[in-house]
Amino acid sequence: MKRIVALTVNGVHHELAVQPQRTLLELIREDIGLTGTKKGCGIGDCGGCTVLVDDVPTFSCLMLAVQADGCNVETVEGLAENGELNRLQQAFVDHGAIQCGYCTPGMLMTSTQLLREEPHPSENEIRTAISGNLCRCTGYQKIVESIQQAAEGDNE
Amino acid sequence: MSLPYFDVFVPDSIEEACSFLEKDQAGGVRILAGGTDVLVDLQRPVLQSSLYNLAEAGSDGTPLLTTFETGQKDPPIWAEKERNNPSSLVSLHKLASLKRIEVLDDGRLQVGALATAREIQRDPDIRQKWAALAEGADAVGSPLVRARGTIGGNICNARPAADMLVPAICLDAELRLQSSAGVRTIRSEEFVTGPGRTTIQPGEILTHIIFPAPAQKSGSAYYKLAQRKALDISVVGVASSITLGQDGEVTDVRVTMGAVGPIPLMAPSVAEILVGSEPTEDLIDEAARGAVQDVTPIDDHRGTLEYRRQMVEVLTARTLRLSIQRAGGQQ
Repeated sequence: MKRIVALTVNGVHHELAVQPQRTLLELIREDIGLTGTKKGCGIGDCGGCTVLVDDVPTFSCLMLAVQADGCNVETVEGLAENGELNRLQQAFVDHGAIQCGYCTPGMLMTSTQLLREEPHPSENEIRTAISGNLCRCTGYQKIVESIQQAAEGDNE
Repeated sequence: MSLPYFDVFVPDSIEEACSFLEKDQAGGVRILAGGTDVLVDLQRPVLQSSLYNLAEAGSDGTPLLTTFETGQKDPPIWAEKERNNPSSLVSLHKLASLKRIEVLDDGRLQVGALATAREIQRDPDIRQKWAALAEGADAVGSPLVRARGTIGGNICNARPAADMLVPAICLDAELRLQSSAGVRTIRSEEFVTGPGRTTIQPGEILTHIIFPAPAQKSGSAYYKLAQRKALDISVVGVASSITLGQDGEVTDVRVTMGAVGPIPLMAPSVAEILVGSEPTEDLIDEAARGAVQDVTPIDDHRGTLEYRRQMVEVLTARTLRLSIQRAGGQQ
């Protein structure tokens, strides 16, 4: 039996009838059509599907859509400001932190929340924060540098 | 679609959840908390069918996947058909009262079963007074797993390496279980009976985990040894808790060890050696060697039996020293 789920995604309110076994990831990608959020492993290991749910980085593959009822969800599509990449996104581009790009949306969401809670994180705090987001291209160094640069930009 | 079909029931109260569970006690219902284990288990029948041949391929008749999957030589959890093909889930996410973490008037700590590892990590009271639990929460999975995974789920899954279960047993936590028949309380030490097996009855929900108030001059610690700092299951995990008397002598000590037996194991040898004495360097080392006598580890891909025994000694000594330091002792 389908259930009604009401949630906000990137500031837009949605009310949808979903199958009980539908994941938040499927709701975001297939029902709402925001395909920036990626499915990787589907079992909570890779972090590719990370979105923010009520300001908590969350893997959307292991959260049922019905569990997101009443929640405020943010995806990578919500980061750009007035059609321009935000500082963190631009830092990823500038540093070559994006290679194949598959982990990027999840990395951006995790690091967005890190910088909200800790505007000037240490390298160790950055590495701990992204330790649930796997990247097989960059070796993480470029990603760490991007987050550091975005944090430093905050001083200007 | 990644998950098989099931219905989801979203109760507004614990009583409603219990009455739903009571209606179907045939095992066709599973409780959904954070979903970090349940929603993975539900995908396993799909995995199972594609890997069936591999599972059959062990030359000595042992399915190859068994040991890899569970770290234990018990039947893989995905073989439990009903468990992984429930007709419905009871999702507890609307039960706000089960998310609360509070220090009770009598000084005990009451943690709602739906409190996530992330919330436990960030609680200043737990960090200060129940440090082993905070450090267990630190060690769970990854930041993303900690954001969803709950202490109740960690305990009820009853894996021998569970990073919040081991400290909970060490700190002598009580578990409050509710069903339509009423509420019962059980010591966490008596809850787990085997890998993935507990004394929870059909129709029961773990609602709260209650930790005793720490005694004067007491301290605790948990250390997880794994090959990676995130997304790994421990080779060995040890929790220690110690209380010192007025003259610095040990009045109480509990050591609980994970991933060295089918369930988290207590180390009674440590108490036999330490209680009543001043915890000198030599005596701590002797107690740590004693702990090795209390474990029954296995060889698997995470570590050998012998390595695990050696690490039990190292981590027991290390967590004891840290606990003594936190208790205000000499170490």
